[in-house]
Amino acid sequence: MIVVENLVKEFRVPEREEGLSGSLRTLLTRRYRTVRAVDGVSFDIPAGSRTAYLGANGAGKSTTVKMLTGVMTPTSGHCLVNGLEPYRNRRRTARRIGVVFGQRSQLWWDLSVPDSFRILRRIHDIPDAVYQRNLRLFRELLDIDALATTAVRQLSLGQRMRAEIAASLLHDPEVLFWDEPTIGLDMVLQEAVRELVNRVNRELGTTVLLTSHDLADITSICDTALVVDHGRVIYQGRIDQLLSTAGQRCVIFEYRGGPSPEAVAAEVEHALPGTRVRLDGQRVRIDHPVGLLSSREVLSFLLERVDLTECYVPEPDLGTVLKELYTRNGHRGRAPGGAA
Amino acid sequence: MNPLRPAFRYTPFVTGSLQSLLRYRSMFAISAVTAAASAAMMIFLWRAVHSSSPDGPPGGFDTAELTTYLLVAQILGLLHANRVDDEVSAEVYRGHVAAMLLKPVSYPAVRAFACLPVIGTNALFAGLPVLLLFALLVPLNVPRPVDALLFAVSAVLSAAVAYLVNLLVGMAAFVTTNTWGIRLMKQTVVAFFSGQMVPVGLMPDALAAVTRLLPFHTMVDSPLTLLLGRYDGVPGILGVLGLQLLWTAVMCAVAALVWRFAVRRLEVLGG
Amino acid sequence: MREFLRHARLAWYLGGIGLQRLMTYRADFALGAGAFLVRVGVQTAVVGVIFQFTPAVGGWTLHEMVFLLGFSLLPRSLDRLFTDQLWELGRRLVQQGEFYRYLIRPVNPLFALLSERFFHPDGFGELLVGAALVAWAGHHLDLELTPAQWLAAAVLVFLGALIHMSVKLLFASLSFWTVTSFPAMHAANQISEFAAYPLEILHPVMRAFTTWCLPFAFTAYVPCTYLLSGDAGLVVWTPVVTAAALAVSLTVWHRGLATYEMTGS
Repeated sequence: MIVVENLVKEFRVPEREEGLSGSLRTLLTRRYRTVRAVDGVSFDIPAGSRTAYLGANGAGKSTTVKMLTGVMTPTSGHCLVNGLEPYRNRRRTARRIGVVFGQRSQLWWDLSVPDSFRILRRIHDIPDAVYQRNLRLFRELLDIDALATTAVRQLSLGQRMRAEIAASLLHDPEVLFWDEPTIGLDMVLQEAVRELVNRVNRELGTTVLLTSHDLADITSICDTALVVDHGRVIYQGRIDQLLSTAGQRCVIFEYRGGPSPEAVAAEVEHALPGTRVRLDGQRVRIDHPVGLLSSREVLSFLLERVDLTECYVPEPDLGTVLKELYTRNGHRGRAPGGAA
Repeated sequence: MNPLRPAFRYTPFVTGSLQSLLRYRSMFAISAVTAAASAAMMIFLWRAVHSSSPDGPPGGFDTAELTTYLLVAQILGLLHANRVDDEVSAEVYRGHVAAMLLKPVSYPAVRAFACLPVIGTNALFAGLPVLLLFALLVPLNVPRPVDALLFAVSAVLSAAVAYLVNLLVGMAAFVTTNTWGIRLMKQTVVAFFSGQMVPVGLMPDALAAVTRLLPFHTMVDSPLTLLLGRYDGVPGILGVLGLQLLWTAVMCAVAALVWRFAVRRLEVLGG
Repeated sequence: MREFLRHARLAWYLGGIGLQRLMTYRADFALGAGAFLVRVGVQTAVVGVIFQFTPAVGGWTLHEMVFLLGFSLLPRSLDRLFTDQLWELGRRLVQQGEFYRYLIRPVNPLFALLSERFFHPDGFGELLVGAALVAWAGHHLDLELTPAQWLAAAVLVFLGALIHMSVKLLFASLSFWTVTSFPAMHAANQISEFAAYPLEILHPVMRAFTTWCLPFAFTAYVPCTYLLSGDAGLVVWTPVVTAAALAVSLTVWHRGLATYEMTGS
């Protein structure tokens, strides 16, 4: 569905000099420096998948999405969406994709949301049945009727995002490009948005490409991750498999009676080499490396020694896994996550 | 304590504004082109009137004087283009003014200090080149040194009046969203009643009387009266400068009143 | 052809929305139209003052000059009615990263851009005042136009509007490279006001400039010379000049689209 080959985007940015004297100098002579925002990326995303596009800050995620939506033209290389080069076939591509750029509105600023939708319906030639079905869906999940007569510019960020998300889905697009779609939404609405996108993916086979700061968005919307670092794809595959590559696991438990937490900690660290124990009141957390121990070994050790009352074996955290992934690829000191 | 200390609080606004100005160097070239084109248009128009006027030179202006008047009027216009109306209305619209109230500085003073570099750079990078260009092309009136000095004083006062007019226009954003319409209206009214399009001395009596009742003629006609020596001795000078001072004071008072009203409204309604 | 019809239907629909919006923002409409009335009033006043001193400027009488002033408003207002959104392009759409929305809609990007402000209210006031001035001056000049001339006048107004649009589009498109091009647009707009004056009074260099570089002469001066004196010397060039202006500005616009860099995240 989406094919990217050796995609490169370079920007020319003026060098700024510090302070007032610097400004005076740049008034006369101005130097530019070329920044490579996307550095020869190649990947392939199959139809119907829900993919999270991940990478450290500055990995060029937003820039790539902008080229995939036809908004920007690549410096070299190319990409295909549905067999078309988007920046060469903007109009035909636009019929088939839905776009949300969370920071920038695509709605009509001084019209109400229903008015904006009526215009979109005309522009996209949306058949009546589809339009009504989608409106029903948005009513049910996003409560868009509550936005009725207010001009878009007077909506709160969260209200506007609901309208943006609905607008991107109105014409039953084949591919959704969502860049930070849940900023400003509260927990309930985030849940509704996830439900919405999962439903269209299930029922219409819509392909989804998502970037987000919110790791919860990623894990609940997407089944696939595409991790890019320094222009190279360093991981592409199922998210659950990515999580299982975590080098560290942990077990958290509480217990009744028996030895003091400090004593338990000392005993665990002695008997199970390589583990690290942290105490938080009555709660004990054991971090252990995957290669040496399995969760089963840790648990059976605990069941024998203490009277367990509560026990959690959480799935590895995506943020931590990503951090490990970047470090393994010789990349330090950068924040992980979905930042743009 | 240093009595100038409070003023230093505003220096970051001055340098900040200057830095952001210098980033857009093409802006000066374009301002200069705009001013030069408008000046040329006005000069050619009035020269055509001059050459075909059967009753001799109108209003007692000879060609050089008329040319000087129209050219310097446009250059003064560059000193008045301080963008205060633009920035104030934009900040009101986006609700930034409310945030400004939290800082230990006065918002109108911030805007005044921030517009100083705009005026300075406009004069230096747009006004001066235009003046030199025209000096090469057309005969201009060379003022007496004392008149040039009086003009400099009067030009400063005219810039103060222009700042106050723009501040008031910018604050109109508290009551309407179409600040663009108000700005256009102001631009037209100022261009006409300041004398930029028709020197006040050439207006028919009734129109000239109305013009002298409005503050705008102190922005262009007053400095030019002094520059061209079209005054009557020391009382004449004092009359021109006194009127400028009076209007500066009146506009200051009006701006302060409107500002206080706006702040109260902000405090009640919130940003 | 099918695409053209689709755009025409959309234009009709969006025009209706524009009118509807005009009713919603009545105060803004009044302010905008009022501002233009004041401006035309001032321009007329300048002409009035000038003719206190002289019976003719550059060979043009008072009524001829009012005719010229009024006529210059017609193409200008027609242009403003439909392409005012170009000012937003030059001012902030590129700078604030909002321009992308015209590229993700299945319609021509230029159409998508302009359609956001179809029937811009400020144009109406100018159109009415321009027509009134032309009618008044024409009456005093005992102007009798043949049906062919009426037709020519309508075509010339339309071509003049296209020239205004081309120049505006050209300067607005510069923002794709310079992020904001509002000052340049403003400068061009200032020069367009020359069109309301007889070009005889200008220096030959400036005359050539407004005729062949930024061809505003063809929006008012040239058509009025033809309508008032029947002199068809330059007016036959109007379609050629309009086509050239459109070609240049559309080329720059398309180049701009290709280099567009949507800033920010």
